[in-house]
Amino acid sequence: MSVGRLLRVGTGLLTLTLLLAACGSDDASQPVDVAAGVPVGAVLALTGNANVYGQDQKIGLELALKQRNGSGGINGRPLTLALEDSGSDEPGANAAFTLQINRGVLALVGPTLSQQAFSADPIAQRRGVPVVAPSNTATGIPEIGFFISRVSAQSSVIAPLAIDRALKIQPGLKRAAVFYAQDDAYSTAETTIFQEALKEKGLEPVTVQRTQLNDQDFQNQISAALREKPDLIVLSLQAVDGGNLIRQLRELGYRGLIVAGNGMNTPNIYPICQKYCDGLLIAQAYSPELDTPANTAFLKAFKAAKGGAIPPQLTAQAYTALQVIGEALVRLDQRQPLAGAPLAATRKQLMQELLAGTYATPLGEIRFTPEGEVIQSQFFVAQVRMDPGGRNGRFALLK
Amino acid sequence: MDAALLEQMLLGALLALSVYLPLRCGQLSLATPGFYAVGGYVAALLSTGVAAFAGSGATSPLWALLAEMVLGGILAGLIALAIGGPVLRLRGIYLAIATIALVEILRVLNLNLPFTGGAMGIFGIPQPFAHPGGYVLFTLALLALACWLCQRLEALRLGRAMAAIRDDELAAASLGIDTPRTKLLAFVASAVLAGVTGALAAHFLNAWNARVGSFDASITTLAFVVFGGSRFWLGPVLGGLALTALPELLRPVGDLRLILFGSVILLGPLFFPQGLVTAERLRGLGALLGRGRHRGRQAPQAP
Repeated sequence: MSVGRLLRVGTGLLTLTLLLAACGSDDASQPVDVAAGVPVGAVLALTGNANVYGQDQKIGLELALKQRNGSGGINGRPLTLALEDSGSDEPGANAAFTLQINRGVLALVGPTLSQQAFSADPIAQRRGVPVVAPSNTATGIPEIGFFISRVSAQSSVIAPLAIDRALKIQPGLKRAAVFYAQDDAYSTAETTIFQEALKEKGLEPVTVQRTQLNDQDFQNQISAALREKPDLIVLSLQAVDGGNLIRQLRELGYRGLIVAGNGMNTPNIYPICQKYCDGLLIAQAYSPELDTPANTAFLKAFKAAKGGAIPPQLTAQAYTALQVIGEALVRLDQRQPLAGAPLAATRKQLMQELLAGTYATPLGEIRFTPEGEVIQSQFFVAQVRMDPGGRNGRFALLK
Repeated sequence: MDAALLEQMLLGALLALSVYLPLRCGQLSLATPGFYAVGGYVAALLSTGVAAFAGSGATSPLWALLAEMVLGGILAGLIALAIGGPVLRLRGIYLAIATIALVEILRVLNLNLPFTGGAMGIFGIPQPFAHPGGYVLFTLALLALACWLCQRLEALRLGRAMAAIRDDELAAASLGIDTPRTKLLAFVASAVLAGVTGALAAHFLNAWNARVGSFDASITTLAFVVFGGSRFWLGPVLGGLALTALPELLRPVGDLRLILFGSVILLGPLFFPQGLVTAERLRGLGALLGRGRHRGRQAPQAP
């Protein structure tokens, strides 16, 4: 047998195997499987450069799951959550979404990054699976389709608030410098909003510096920016690169105000920029000081789990996402029992139910537009205050 | 196994073949992800910007996909042709560095050109197939075609010339082989294959941005070939299939999965320095099968 023929036989066999494997069905007409509980999935970035967000979000989901199942689950049946890692890239998110949908979940929470959402959400949309995004802030996410919604207010609503606050703290600001990562969807989307907000306040940026998401060293961009003698620096960077940039910015002698976007809205920046995080201004969609029963319960649960720390926004939003799905499931199940209902129809009804409701969440009372965009009434601005040692800090709400 | 994962594996195998082609004549080129990105942008721009390509209703027409693949392949091939001349004067690690630079230049261009959508890229790319199964069949056909061409190469004068250059470029030149032309041909073929694959992948991934053609992707595609073996086309195909599937198949082990994946990539070359598929192993396998079926036949020839 010649090698050529062997290869032909081998190729034939390989083809056959692949074909057989490809024919595996994912039948959406089968009934909802509630034997082990009501299945819901989550896809978070637990590895890769966005893992610092995924860790915050994971805690939120766990707490929401415990809360839901502690208060009766879905009318007596437990809610079950399957969590999958998406990495920090698009193919990872696509694969995790597909895996979860094939498992027969009724709804999905995720993915962590807007960039991943643009790639993975169309899969859920095509297959008719409700998605509640806990942290996508780029413009155009709910517009992907009927099944896509989010509880994270978009940056065009939140980001300008931090600039307003900076101007209130220091009214004479004149020279703003802007930094953003040019290869990141979140950064480029948010910096546009920041720059428009600056122009509206008559603060035309004196310099706009571009960095890369995976950069570690920003000395060139910082030196170029500092030559312009800025008195306000506005960053649209993610936690890891942003934290490093702030540290180097302070080390190179910048003393003025720094406003950061949602990407740095996590306590996980403390170990990166340490004492230099101090004074950072970040607009918030969540306030730990909100005095509502929903937030009090969430705070209590978080403090019990994390030993007294204050929950970050990402955790509160992830908690909210699962809470919203849980409540919509409870209402849907009361109207028509989930057990035995066809999967595809149930997913669609769940989405309608989800969009129709009003929810008392840690973020305050929220609703959705028919498109799936969150309607939230209150936003806040926090300033990072680091402890003297520079190891730990907190997000202090500015009144 | 899920059809979407299968599709990713097949795309991985095609990219691995694209890295394999220049390696077949001894050229270590890491430019594959750059051409892959170019092909994808062609498909993404055409299918989101031109009404005829977008189709109407649920799926975009199949001819549009084919046309995008051809155009993506041609554009990638033209870029390769233009830069191949000067770049291929470099050898070994210097060529690798130059191709990394090419990938980086294309990436920064894609980030900053006015029509490529910046970091957000292009999203909402229409789907030619309603189900991932359709992609799998289509990609399988493409992979089969690519494999068949690689197999044909073994018997053709061009393939022999490439092998001769890989073994000793100086000796090959002194035998009258036009080495610059042969190397350029392999480089262009690699670019065309990557461009065609990119056009297909852009539809499959729904969204396309500059991150698909990064340095990381260069290393990943190189790992396919190092892991599978660079001497014979079956090696890269197996490497591409296996290394794309592995991170997903390892999901049950949870947090350890990427550590395990890393150790597989590390241990592969340690224990199989020539890759999984080598001529000796193929011959051994052929002999094993041959003994079972055709007792008494003479030993098979080398590929």
